[in-house]
Amino acid sequence: MNLIVILLGLGVGVLVGLLGIGGGVVLVPALVYLLRMDQHMAQGTSLLILLPPVGLGALREYWKQEQVDLRAGILCALGILVGGYVGGLIAVPIASRQLRGLFGCFLMLAAFLLLKKPQAQGLPKSSADEGRNRA
Amino acid sequence: MREGPLRDASIFVAAGMCGVASGLFGIGGGVLLVPFLALFFAFGQHRAQGTSLVALIPPTGLLAFLAYAKADFVSWQVGLLLIPGVFVGGILGGWLAKKLQPQRMRQVFAGLMFILGMWQAAAAWWH
Repeated sequence: MNLIVILLGLGVGVLVGLLGIGGGVVLVPALVYLLRMDQHMAQGTSLLILLPPVGLGALREYWKQEQVDLRAGILCALGILVGGYVGGLIAVPIASRQLRGLFGCFLMLAAFLLLKKPQAQGLPKSSADEGRNRA
Repeated sequence: MREGPLRDASIFVAAGMCGVASGLFGIGGGVLLVPFLALFFAFGQHRAQGTSLVALIPPTGLLAFLAYAKADFVSWQVGLLLIPGVFVGGILGGWLAKKLQPQRMRQVFAGLMFILGMWQAAAAWWH
């Protein structure tokens, strides 16, 4: 069981680096279905995993390619910190089954947003943006 | 959007919305932040992902985590076992992202996520 957990972490980590995400969106369902955790427990444990800078190694790869907007990143960190507290307060009193259903809806919405994103690579708009931020 | 206080404020508000989702669903928020940066602020895909990783370096979920910990909704053993794997896997993934077409990867990932989401919602509400 411990081996499964460690391998699961490795798999989630690859997605973290590949997609620039925290990994919680994969961790939570994995904890619920593979380890039979309750929805609240899975979400709390996912937040624990995301406390240390697990994405640091991945960030280094992006940093080397100058694909990082530090100013925007710091602003985002502050926004998530504040918003996260509000979200946590909302989640705790919700019934676990309802929360699981909501999580499912959220996954569908996030999937939709990921697909909707324009093909920014190679567009004049995005290369101008990258040039400006690098300058 | 041009650089300046307005852009900064917009980014902060957009990230705050990601934060609410982060606390509500126990996630990092990057899964929303990456499309937000790309859709509303014209970031390239790699740049959006790199910037999202910056936002996830500090313990941004700390306040949300405390809310869960206070209600005893944390499994310390599983959590601590998962951390090293995620870290090492992250290096691997960051290296892979340079080799692969991230657009294609994202499409596959989004497809899987949609199915997973439908499954979760159905399992919770379909009785």
